[in-house]
Amino acid sequence: MGGVNVIVTKSLNHDDAKEKSGSSPQATIHSHEVIIIGGGLTGLRAAIQIADAGLNGAIISKVHPLRSHSVAAQGGMNASLGNVPGEDGKNDSWEMHAYDTVKGSDYLADQDAVELMCREATSTVIELEHMGTVWSRLENGKIAQRPFGGAGFPRTCYAADRTGHNALNTLYEQLSDRDIPVYEEFFVTSLVQDRGRCNGCTAIDIKTGTVHGFVSKAVLMATGGFGRIFSRSTNALINTGDGHTLALNAGVPLKDMEFVQFHPTTLYGTNILMSEGARGEGGILLNSNGERFMEHYAPNSLDLAPRDVVARSIETEIREGRGFDGGYVNLDLTHLGADRIMERLPGIRLIAMDFAGVDPIDDPVPVQPGQHYSMGGIDVDINGATILPGLYAAGECACISVHGANRLGGNSLLETVVYGRLVADKIIEDNPIHLEPDIEPIKLAIIDIEDKIGDIMDRKDNGNFFRVKNAITDIMFNKFGIFRDSDGMDDGLVEIKNLQEQFSMLSPINKEKPFNQSLIQFLEVDGMLKLAEIIALSAIERKESRGSHTRIDHPERDDVNFLKHTVSILNGEEVDITYKPVILGMFEPKERVY
Amino acid sequence: MKLKVYRYHDGMKEPRYDTFKLKSDPGMTVLGALFQFQQQFDDSIAFHYSCRGAVCGTCAMLINKVPRLACRTQVASLIKGELKIPLSQFPAIEETVKWNPEEEILVEPLPNFPVIRDLIVDTTSFFNYYKFVEPVFKPADKTPEKERLMDPSAIPELELYTNCILCGACFGSCPIDGKNPDYLGPAALAKLYRFHIDPREKEGTDRLERANIPEGWWACEFYGNCRRVCPKGVPPLIAIAKAREQLNDINEKKEEEP
Repeated sequence: MGGVNVIVTKSLNHDDAKEKSGSSPQATIHSHEVIIIGGGLTGLRAAIQIADAGLNGAIISKVHPLRSHSVAAQGGMNASLGNVPGEDGKNDSWEMHAYDTVKGSDYLADQDAVELMCREATSTVIELEHMGTVWSRLENGKIAQRPFGGAGFPRTCYAADRTGHNALNTLYEQLSDRDIPVYEEFFVTSLVQDRGRCNGCTAIDIKTGTVHGFVSKAVLMATGGFGRIFSRSTNALINTGDGHTLALNAGVPLKDMEFVQFHPTTLYGTNILMSEGARGEGGILLNSNGERFMEHYAPNSLDLAPRDVVARSIETEIREGRGFDGGYVNLDLTHLGADRIMERLPGIRLIAMDFAGVDPIDDPVPVQPGQHYSMGGIDVDINGATILPGLYAAGECACISVHGANRLGGNSLLETVVYGRLVADKIIEDNPIHLEPDIEPIKLAIIDIEDKIGDIMDRKDNGNFFRVKNAITDIMFNKFGIFRDSDGMDDGLVEIKNLQEQFSMLSPINKEKPFNQSLIQFLEVDGMLKLAEIIALSAIERKESRGSHTRIDHPERDDVNFLKHTVSILNGEEVDITYKPVILGMFEPKERVY
Repeated sequence: MKLKVYRYHDGMKEPRYDTFKLKSDPGMTVLGALFQFQQQFDDSIAFHYSCRGAVCGTCAMLINKVPRLACRTQVASLIKGELKIPLSQFPAIEETVKWNPEEEILVEPLPNFPVIRDLIVDTTSFFNYYKFVEPVFKPADKTPEKERLMDPSAIPELELYTNCILCGACFGSCPIDGKNPDYLGPAALAKLYRFHIDPREKEGTDRLERANIPEGWWACEFYGNCRRVCPKGVPPLIAIAKAREQLNDINEKKEEEP
C-alpha cells in the first residue's frame, strides 16, 4: 500500500506535472488552494473570483469548459433592471422578482436565498456586460428584456437565443486572460477526506487513464445537473449527475431530489430545447384540433404560465387524445414573421431546421415536454457550504433552494453566476481557517480508486452495460415523469433495484487505459443508478403535489405535512430520507393561480 | 447502410478503417451512428461529444470528406447526397480510402490537427492561436455603474462573430492551415475581429495589429472553405478582408505623411 512514488506539483501550469516514466507505480498529485470541479458558468465565475483574490485555484472538468452544458442555455437571465416597464407602466424591483420566484417555487424555495439572488441579479447581469458579454439591446442602447413564464414583468435579459453561449464565452475569455489552470478531460472519481474535512479529490485523466490526486484546502462542486437519467432530456449527454454521486459517497446529503423540471417545449424526436423565449416573443401552443389549449389551464398567463403548469397541460392534451401521433403538440411561431424570428430566435430556427426539418417561419414546430432541470441537489446552506467542512457546491448541482419545487425560466443562468461568485467569496473568507492539507490521504485514495477500477475491469460478465443505461433512463421518464402515482413509482423502484444488481456484475469490454470512454460511461451509469433510487424514494415519500412533483394519487399541495425539504443521505448502501424546514420570511404560502 | 470509421491508437503502424452495418432510424445523426457503433460493435472507439444539439462544438469531424458537426449531420441526408459542400481541395481532404458514398458514411478525424486516437484530435495549437489573439474584452473607458449603452444596430455584425462555437471545422477545412501549421487560422482571426468591432472597445487598429504578421491576416488565400463548413455561418473571410483593408489604409496614410 505505501509504495507509491508521488510527484507533487504546485505549478500553475499542470502540463509541467507530466508523469515520469519508470517501472514503479507512480501517482501525480497536484496541489492548489481551491479545486473547482466543473467548468460551466458557475465554475468559471468562481474560478475568476478566486484568482482575483490571489488564491491558487484550478478547474477540473470532464470536458473543455466551452463544451459545458451552460453553452446550450438559450432564453436569458432574470434581473429587475427595469429597462422595459411592465404593462401598467410600473417599474420592476428585486422584491417583485423575489415574489415571482417564491410563488413559482410553490413556496418550497428558501426565501433568504431567493432574496440574496434577486438583490444580486442586476449587478450580475451588468457585471457580465462589463466583462464583454454582447446582450441584445433596446433602441435606447440598454440591455433588452423580454417576458418569461411566471414573471410579472419583462425581466429576462437575453442575447438573442444564445444567452448561455455568450455568457460562457465571456467568462472563458476572462479565465484565459488570467491563466487559470484547467485540468481538461479529467473525470473526478472521489472526494478525499482527512481529519473530518474535505481536502481534495482523485480523478482519472481520460487521455491516459491514470488516476491523479488533487490536494486542496477547499473543493467547490460545480458539476451541473443529472438530466441524462431521464430518456427525454434537453440536457447535454455529459449531464450525468457525477457531482451528486461524489457528494453522496462522501457522506454529504442531497436535497429535494424528487423535484425535476420538465420543460414544456422540447423538439419532438431529439428533445433539444425550444427556448421559453419562443413563447416570450409571442409563440403559442396548439393541439391537434388547432386550439390554443392554454386558455383552459391558465386563463391569465396562457402560454407564459410557469413551466410545471404548461408541461402538465401539454401532457394532458396528449393523454386525452388531442396531441399528434407520436405524442406532441405544435409550437406556432409563424405569425411572428420572418424578421422577428431571425432577429430574436435564430438559434432555435436552426435547430428546428437541422433536427426536425421544419422552418418555424413557415410551419409550426412539433414539441413535447422533456426533462430539463433539477431543482434538487447537494444540500448546502446559504453560503454554499455542505455539512463536510471544506466542501462547497453551487449552480445546478447544488440545492441552495432558490427554485424550490419549480424553477422559473431565466433564473438558472442567474443562479450560476450569482452563486458562483458568492460561494467563491465564502471560500476565500474561509481560506485562512482551513487546515493545511495532508498528502497521505490523497495517496491512499488514489490506491482505492485504482483498486475499484481494477475490480470493475476484472469482472467476468462482459454483457453489454449500455442496455442498463438505456433501461434506467426509460424507467425514470415513464415512472417518475410529469405525472406520478404510487403504483407506477413502486414498480419503478423495483426495476431500479434490479438494474443495480445486474449492473454490479457487468464490466466494460474495453480494458485499455487511454481514452477508455466506455469506462467513463460505466462509472457515470454506476452513479446514475444510485441517484435514480434516491429520486424514486424521495418522490414516493412525498405524498402531495407541489411544483414539478405531480401525483395523481395525491393531487393537492399539503403544507401541513410537506412544506419541508426532503433530505436524502447514504447509510451504507441504504438511502435514509429525512426532512428539514423551509426558510420562509418575506411571503406567506398561498395557492398558486396563473 | 454502413458506417466506415477511421481507427488509430498509439503503437499502430498505420490507421485502419472499421465498417459497421447501421440500423438507421429516422432522424439518426452521425453522432447517433457512432454511439450505435460503440454500444454494439466496439466500445473501444474514442470520439468527443457533449451537447448533441449543434451548440457546443465538441464533435467536429471529417464526414464524407467535409468537416462537420457529427451531431447535426443526418445519416439519411448524407446517403441521399443532399449535404454536399463543394470545397477547395487540399491533401488532407482528398480521397485517401475507397468508399461508396451511396451506401457508406465515411467518418475521419478533423484534418490539420494531430490525431490522438480514433476520431479525437489534439486542439492544443488551435486554442493557443485563440489565446494568441488575446480574446478578452478591453473596454475603452472605466467601468461605469450601469451597463454601457450599445447601439442595437451594432449588434448584428458583432453577432456574426460571437456566434463562433470554436468547433475547429474551419481550421480543419483550411488549405492554408494544411500547409502552414503556423497560420493562426480562421477561428482565431474571426475572434480577434469580434473584439475589434465591439463598439465598447477603443477605436483604432490596435487589435488588428496583433495579427499583422505573416501568419495572421496576410496568410489567408481566400479559398473560402471556412465559411462553407461553419455550422454557425461565421464569415472569417469577411473579417480578414476588412482587417487587411483597414491595415492597408493605415499604411498608406503613414506613407503619405512627410
